[in-house]
Amino acid sequence: MTLASRFFRQPGSAHLDPILVGLWISLIILAALWIAPFIFIVFTSLKSAAEVMGSSAFSPPADYAWENYSAAWQRGNFTTASFNSIIITAIKVPLGLFLSAMAAYALACVRMRWRKLFFVVVLFGTMIPFQVMLAPIFRQVNAFGLINTYPGIILPYLAFGVPYQVFILHGFFSAVPRELSEAARIDGASHFVIFRRIFLPISLPVLAALFILDFVATWNEFAMALVILQDSDMWTLPLGLMAFQSQFQSNYGQLNAAIVMTVLPAVIVYLIFQRYFVAGLVSGAVKE
Amino acid sequence: MASVAIRGLKKAYGSVPVIHGVDIDIEDGEFVVLVGPSGCGKSTLLRMIAGLESISDGEITIDGRRVNDLEPKDRDIAMVFQNYALYPQMTVAQNMGFALELAGRRRAEIQAEIARAAEILSLTPLLDRKPAQLSGGQRQRVAIGRAIVRHPKVFLFDEPLSNLDAKLRVQMRSEIKALHRRLRATIVYVTHDQVEAMTMADRIVVMNGGRVEQIGQPLDLYDHPANLFVAQFIGSPAMNILPAVAVAPGQLRLSDGSVIAAPPGFPLRHGREIHYGLRPEDVRFGEGLPGHVIDVEPTGSETFLVVSVAGHEIMALAKERLMVAPGDPIQVALESPKAHLFDAKNGLRLRLPDAA
Repeated sequence: MTLASRFFRQPGSAHLDPILVGLWISLIILAALWIAPFIFIVFTSLKSAAEVMGSSAFSPPADYAWENYSAAWQRGNFTTASFNSIIITAIKVPLGLFLSAMAAYALACVRMRWRKLFFVVVLFGTMIPFQVMLAPIFRQVNAFGLINTYPGIILPYLAFGVPYQVFILHGFFSAVPRELSEAARIDGASHFVIFRRIFLPISLPVLAALFILDFVATWNEFAMALVILQDSDMWTLPLGLMAFQSQFQSNYGQLNAAIVMTVLPAVIVYLIFQRYFVAGLVSGAVKE
Repeated sequence: MASVAIRGLKKAYGSVPVIHGVDIDIEDGEFVVLVGPSGCGKSTLLRMIAGLESISDGEITIDGRRVNDLEPKDRDIAMVFQNYALYPQMTVAQNMGFALELAGRRRAEIQAEIARAAEILSLTPLLDRKPAQLSGGQRQRVAIGRAIVRHPKVFLFDEPLSNLDAKLRVQMRSEIKALHRRLRATIVYVTHDQVEAMTMADRIVVMNGGRVEQIGQPLDLYDHPANLFVAQFIGSPAMNILPAVAVAPGQLRLSDGSVIAAPPGFPLRHGREIHYGLRPEDVRFGEGLPGHVIDVEPTGSETFLVVSVAGHEIMALAKERLMVAPGDPIQVALESPKAHLFDAKNGLRLRLPDAA
């Protein structure tokens, strides 16, 4: 039996399983469809203008035109844009996650009146489409005099990020056995200690997943940034990329280099944190 | 170590009462087991002692101090849960030291306490493991270790052995008893398993429907149950209960009409309805009423027999090996000086006039 044919059989069966074969074929086709644009972007970003015109879209670059990257970086004013993106994401993502986790803990584990009502109010935030809120938010931020400032963009980001994170974390915290926090209470832990020493560590896989999703969403966010950050010195990378595209549309090499530079941090963060997706940190806490 | 006094304790969830006024006195160093069927309020009572449930009415004192309104951590108690409730991300040592760490004790002191507890529970080689890497019995030992390091006045156990397999349960049972002897600790232990209660307790509190049915030493409860509930709950297999009516002096008529002699000494009014209680080991064979065998369960050392007699199925325990098969006719003697009589209306056990 060859290595490849092993994947097409049920364990212990000598026959090829047509469903498994079909699934593998679909998987490969889907993966190819997804990876094709990335290959196109990365290859094109490394081709000179002449080579872009003269070669097929998916052919590898003949010589690597690294200068596309430095040129795009300078012409797109990426130093400023990256700095803004980093500041906004580095503040918003951890802060938002921390606030959501605390809110979810309170809603799931602290006995209080109106708890369900509070939860529903927070959940309501997940039901309002973001686009509907753009104009009111602009007016609100403008009224506070926060247009073209970091707080002016970070605060609405937080408001839109918290509800769905609270929703996910509330579900997770509610599933933590009650005895765990009771044992900690008897051991002398306050709510904050239970939250920080027990709940945060055991919810690391969930927090990592939310961190990735929120990082990518915040890093790539376009519409709200476009409305609130109007000064080009305050632009984030997606805004910078848009400006670059409208100016240097025909320079495919540099344009794709700019795209790669915009997307790369999100990819790196994803690759770093995805290993925490492996769950199982809660196993052994209590007998299931 | 300390005494625990529970006075007129009540608990209600909204308008639903679950504990209806419970009084228990637990002496210093005593091993008290709360036992009863599920839903009888024994776990709620334990959680009220721990401070995890509020008290609707009444009072709990530990060592003479009223603890009704104290936080769990201020009551000087430690609790072991059925599902262990170990902190999964911490090692065994960290689990055991957590309470001391929160209390702000010095590191050397914490290390010494952990080492002592680990020594007592033979956990020393496992101190760096995480709970996920331990077996069920080891996890429960860690949970006990977490309690020991704090030197609490009272240990509370909430069905700690229910998640373990049968063999481990027997082993942990004697380990906890040995621990009790060694620490001379006051222990309140909740279980639904009357065998656990009988084998471990200094005194047993039998609970039912939010009330205390009887408090007493294990064999006392077995020999002198206060009422029908305790009679049927304590002892395995359970006591046989046959409805009967007093007829001629010293005689009882069973529901099928057969007449047996009442245990001597009871002045029974003619026509009084009672329940006749007989433990399986007090049933004798070879004489008496005719019946037949329904089932035979030999355990090796003794034989359980289910027999049909006088219109009832009763359970009997024979110390000798009986060569009988289902369907065989058998003579069953239901009369015994050890039989109990219970009032049919209120379920209370009738006492001999001179003993009462």
